[in-house]
Amino acid sequence: MPIDTIFEAIKNLRREGIKTFLTLLGVVIGIMAIVSLASIGAGLSESVTAQFEELGSNTIFIIPSGMGVAKISLTQNDIRNVENIIGVKSVVPIYSTQAKMEFNGKKINVSVNAVEEDKSDLFGGTGYFEVGEGRNFSKNESSSILVGNKIGKDYFDKEINIRKQILINDVAFKVIGILEAQPASFGGAPNSSSVVYMSYEGFKKITDKTDATIIFASSQFKDETSDVAEKIKDYFDKKYGEESVTVSASEQLLDQINVMLGMITLFIMGIGAISLVVGGVGIMNAMLTSVLQRTKEIGTYKALGATSQKILAIFLIEAGLIGLIGGIIGIIFGYATASLIAYIGTESGFALNAIMTSDIIITSLLFSMTIGIVAGILPAIRAANLDPVEALRFE
Amino acid sequence: MVIKKVTEKEKNIRANIRAKNESVIKVEDVYKIYKLDGIEVRALDGVSFDVKKGEYISIMGPSGSGKTTLLDALSTMMNPTSGNIFIEGKNTTAMSPSELAAFRGNKIGFIFQTFNLLPKLSALENVMVPMWINNYPRNLRKKTATEVLEKVGLGDRLHNRPNQMSGGQRQRVAIARALALNPNIIVADEPTGNLDSKSGKNVMELLRKLNEEGKTIVLVTHDLNLGETTDRQIYIKDGKIVSKREDAFGNRFK
Repeated sequence: MPIDTIFEAIKNLRREGIKTFLTLLGVVIGIMAIVSLASIGAGLSESVTAQFEELGSNTIFIIPSGMGVAKISLTQNDIRNVENIIGVKSVVPIYSTQAKMEFNGKKINVSVNAVEEDKSDLFGGTGYFEVGEGRNFSKNESSSILVGNKIGKDYFDKEINIRKQILINDVAFKVIGILEAQPASFGGAPNSSSVVYMSYEGFKKITDKTDATIIFASSQFKDETSDVAEKIKDYFDKKYGEESVTVSASEQLLDQINVMLGMITLFIMGIGAISLVVGGVGIMNAMLTSVLQRTKEIGTYKALGATSQKILAIFLIEAGLIGLIGGIIGIIFGYATASLIAYIGTESGFALNAIMTSDIIITSLLFSMTIGIVAGILPAIRAANLDPVEALRFE
Repeated sequence: MVIKKVTEKEKNIRANIRAKNESVIKVEDVYKIYKLDGIEVRALDGVSFDVKKGEYISIMGPSGSGKTTLLDALSTMMNPTSGNIFIEGKNTTAMSPSELAAFRGNKIGFIFQTFNLLPKLSALENVMVPMWINNYPRNLRKKTATEVLEKVGLGDRLHNRPNQMSGGQRQRVAIARALALNPNIIVADEPTGNLDSKSGKNVMELLRKLNEEGKTIVLVTHDLNLGETTDRQIYIKDGKIVSKREDAFGNRFK
């Protein structure tokens, strides 16, 4: 029996051609919006997670609170004190400053990041950057620099090549490598394409600044990371006051970012869901019109032996099918849209990624079908309750 | 419209045969009372009659006489206010709506004045509608539908849609649909009302043929010429059965 009813519902939808198409459209747009956002959201969360995994899960970030307008600095004294906290395996301060860069007769301002020489592989190891042309630092290279892709290719009239001499704050440096172009990323790593990297020895030549911008500490044991982070936080709280320095273990930070991302995704998906509800109203409207138009047909069905339940089933299945088919098409178009957004985003420098999970598929299909069926209830009941005699002679 | 009338002799022979048959339809003291703006309208006012197996009767009356209401009641489309209707010995007024629908689908074939075909379906698909509604075996549907369409002379129109057919052909599709589940009873509500006289004659001949094959047929019409081609007439006026056609229609047709 249900098979017949489903076939009949499909036939009815096909007969209605353009009307079915327009009704479908409402659902397709809603599901498309939700799926594309969910897909981008899942992609973001995945790439953030991947970045953190590269950093290693025993990493602890120490950053003065109030990025950019931080009230306190991380002094050399602080660095030593953190190193002496029990459980801390290593401490890597990152120094940064703004400096004047001169090449080919033109001066521009650049950000300079530096790390102590013996810790310079930290950059490479964390995915902070990848050297494209040239090579990474080796020992005793206080006069070498790596230049970001943009600086190398776009900032000056002439391209910067490796082995070129460059002045930074009037100190001469040799370019040993150009960094790979890198999309902007979430989760900490600054955009490396407009930054110059050098060793801390070199850094001391161009500025008097000895305070670190960020300190990466790592714990001796992975499962102690939170405890060690807590001890570091106590040290800074005591020295500078509560909340003056943000100390977070990479996993905590990842969780926080994912929670935030999830909330943003959910919020935007909620907006998508509203459009789906509008799609549902469209289904209801179409089904009500259909019941009116097919009153005589319903009367005929009843004369030919159809029970009210069967009429109810036909209309509910039709509405459910609109939801389901709209959902399927919406998922396909939604994923296509997400891929397109991700492509455009990546091209223009944002690390976006479209991901399709079975969760997204199942949830959106259930949602669209439910919307269809719920929207179909009222019209279906109306159809089922039609008086056979009146319906049969309806003109 | 010239339709072959059954001779008196033939009628008598048939009447004798039928007298021994059991009732297929038994209408027992049926009332149908509506309230219209607070005024009581007795659409059926105590109607009783029997239709024997294999009979071909017409229910006749002017418009508003209650003949359509009577048809609705005896075809189980409508529950009377009081009284009983037995179809093949079963009291239909005691059945639940679901039981009634299934019972009606299998026992009664309907023919309507306006054909009531589904416009976007082919002749074959239209005939198959009662089959899926009543769970007729799937593998036999196409074969049976083709057979009944051939029987009504539309073997070459199986895949035509209603709008590709003449009125007469459409009504024959509707008749084929009524025959789809091989019911014993056929009810026809003004089956020639929307047809030209030639097509109308064809339809009436087809009904006669079906009756000769053993179907019990109830024809509802206000057309005296048509009604009097059947074996027996039931005249109705103001919801009551009257014995003579003059009582129902006045002396207009004398």
